[in-house]
Amino acid sequence: MFQKILIANRGEIAVRILRACRTLGVEAAVVYSEADRDSLAVRLADEAICIGPADAKRSYLSASAVISAAVVTGCDAVHPGYGFLSEDETFAEVVGAHGLTFIGPPPDVLDRFASKEATRRLLGGYGLPTIPGSDGMLRDDAHSLEEADRIGYPVLIKPSAGGGGKGMRMVRSARELEQAIKVCRSEAKAAFGDDSLYLEKWLEDTRHVEVQVAVDRFGNGVHLGERDCSVQRRHQKILEEAPTPALSPAVRVELAERAIRAVVAAGYENVGTLEFLVDGNGDYYFIEINCRIQVEHPVTEMLTGIDLVATQIRIAAGEPLGFSQADVDLRGHAIELRINAEDVDHDFRPSAGVVERYLAPGGPGVRMDSHMYAGYEVPPYYDSLLGKLIVWGRDRGAAIDRARAALDELIVDGLVTNVPIHRAILRNEVFLDGRMTTNLLDRVGSAAFVAAAERR
Amino acid sequence: MGKHERDPADRLADHAAIDALANELIPALIAKLGASGLGEIEVREGDWKVRLRRPADGVAPAGGRRTGRPAASPAPVRPSLTPVGPGRGGGEEAEARIPGVGADIDGVGPAEPGGRGRDPFRAMATSPAVGFFQPRSGIVPGSRVRSGDPIGSIDVLGVPTEVVAAADGIVGASLVETGEAVEYGQELVWIELLSAPSGGPDALAALDPSAAGELVARSELGTGDPAPGEP
Repeated sequence: MFQKILIANRGEIAVRILRACRTLGVEAAVVYSEADRDSLAVRLADEAICIGPADAKRSYLSASAVISAAVVTGCDAVHPGYGFLSEDETFAEVVGAHGLTFIGPPPDVLDRFASKEATRRLLGGYGLPTIPGSDGMLRDDAHSLEEADRIGYPVLIKPSAGGGGKGMRMVRSARELEQAIKVCRSEAKAAFGDDSLYLEKWLEDTRHVEVQVAVDRFGNGVHLGERDCSVQRRHQKILEEAPTPALSPAVRVELAERAIRAVVAAGYENVGTLEFLVDGNGDYYFIEINCRIQVEHPVTEMLTGIDLVATQIRIAAGEPLGFSQADVDLRGHAIELRINAEDVDHDFRPSAGVVERYLAPGGPGVRMDSHMYAGYEVPPYYDSLLGKLIVWGRDRGAAIDRARAALDELIVDGLVTNVPIHRAILRNEVFLDGRMTTNLLDRVGSAAFVAAAERR
Repeated sequence: MGKHERDPADRLADHAAIDALANELIPALIAKLGASGLGEIEVREGDWKVRLRRPADGVAPAGGRRTGRPAASPAPVRPSLTPVGPGRGGGEEAEARIPGVGADIDGVGPAEPGGRGRDPFRAMATSPAVGFFQPRSGIVPGSRVRSGDPIGSIDVLGVPTEVVAAADGIVGASLVETGEAVEYGQELVWIELLSAPSGGPDALAALDPSAAGELVARSELGTGDPAPGEP
């Protein structure tokens, strides 16, 4: 096991990683930017180190600042959390070059799974169904038109790097294609420094279902079930749950088993998530793998009782997994609500300010992962996630009841939050029937969605 | 608490004397003290005595458990003006500070990083990166530097990043040891200014005659009460 871990992230995940370190009895130092001097992670940590100004490019995204911080604090491992440097294989490599361990897949594994397009081919070769798409990256307009014709419209333009909806466009006809590709290229270039794009068949009314896996360096792998992340707004997940209401128990098991077989065969290591789209027929298609801990990992923790962050750290330290598939018991139903500093009434505009009062809900099956405290000033420089409210129930109905009750108990005063959208979702008929699709919120419009729930 | 009026002429003379001391003598003394390594300098002039004292804890303890907290800065050089001779506060050495001078501005004491930059008589060179501090060879307390001159470097994974003087002045106390691990923004080296920055609001506030008048009034009361900035 490591002696001391550098937590190279901020917000709730920095607190979450700190808790895992303490559970494992490993020392930790947390990095922070000048804007995060008063963050909860800094307050809770035994040791904290300022790595740069508020601008993430010069702090949380600066590989040299982060690695230098690990060196000067005497850490032997770096936990990147999610976002920032977590999926940067060059960063992972440089971490290794300085004699430190990157907590995640080893650099060669990250490298193998770095390109979404190559990963689809790799895992497709190990038996995962994939969405019909372009033959490699788009070269020029002629190539793009030819590929789009072959796949059949509508098609989705996707960037090879990154995520979060940047550089993505759905195109219904050849007429729109050229211009859309131009826009996507510049967006992808700006967001990820890589403008490679590919095409995929656009599937209407899909659901987003992902399988959580954990594989140690000895090739022992387990799946920890799936999560449904279909409640999205502009490609951003808002609410996640497990198990997915989209698939029958038999298909869920089949999906998870195919996923773990494929990644073990492809030489994946550490925790990871395989994302699938599920269409109206219940057919699933592999789309990408996330080689990091995810925001919604607590959903799986609630179902399995397994600490995923601790598991991630132990695997990176070279320890065997220590449990088998038979030990993984998926019990009940869990739901996670992302609490964001966003104004639902104003197009989800991010809000910043001081959390004047904060009260986390409690009770059986209720968990709140947050970096808020009364008096905390939310800096305007980073994402708007304030915390995650996670509930567990014996079945989906019980979980929804607990989610509603917990949401009513949550108090965040001083800034605007997206709680109204959660209230609306938890009362929406489509959601209650388990029929949410990734495009529903955008199609209906969030305002109409909230208004409809208020009328009920 | 009663106050008794003083002769306006005496007050005016005090103001003039304090102005002269504050504008000319104190900056020069600060530079001398910064360069000398001496602990204290005292000068008598007319009815007034000026004493500058450098606190004993000149160098901050290196690296606490909490790397994230900037190490406590040494107290800045503190000028104290004391009226001497008969008729001035009964001859008592009621050491009063000029309100607004140095880190006593807010009465918060010297160790507040927020006070940085408000000291009209010196500037702080801070770390531009996370790494290990190396002073530039030949740069020692007392060296004269110009704004922008390199005074050291931070070794970031083997690559040096320059630490530069924030102002023209004289290199004063260093808060970190050679080779010590530092974080971004950490206070490294004081630069004692050769003259107070012109137009600096805090500097001027410190020299405000009305403030000086208050000083005189206090010392006259002869209570020995410390000025508001006294820790």
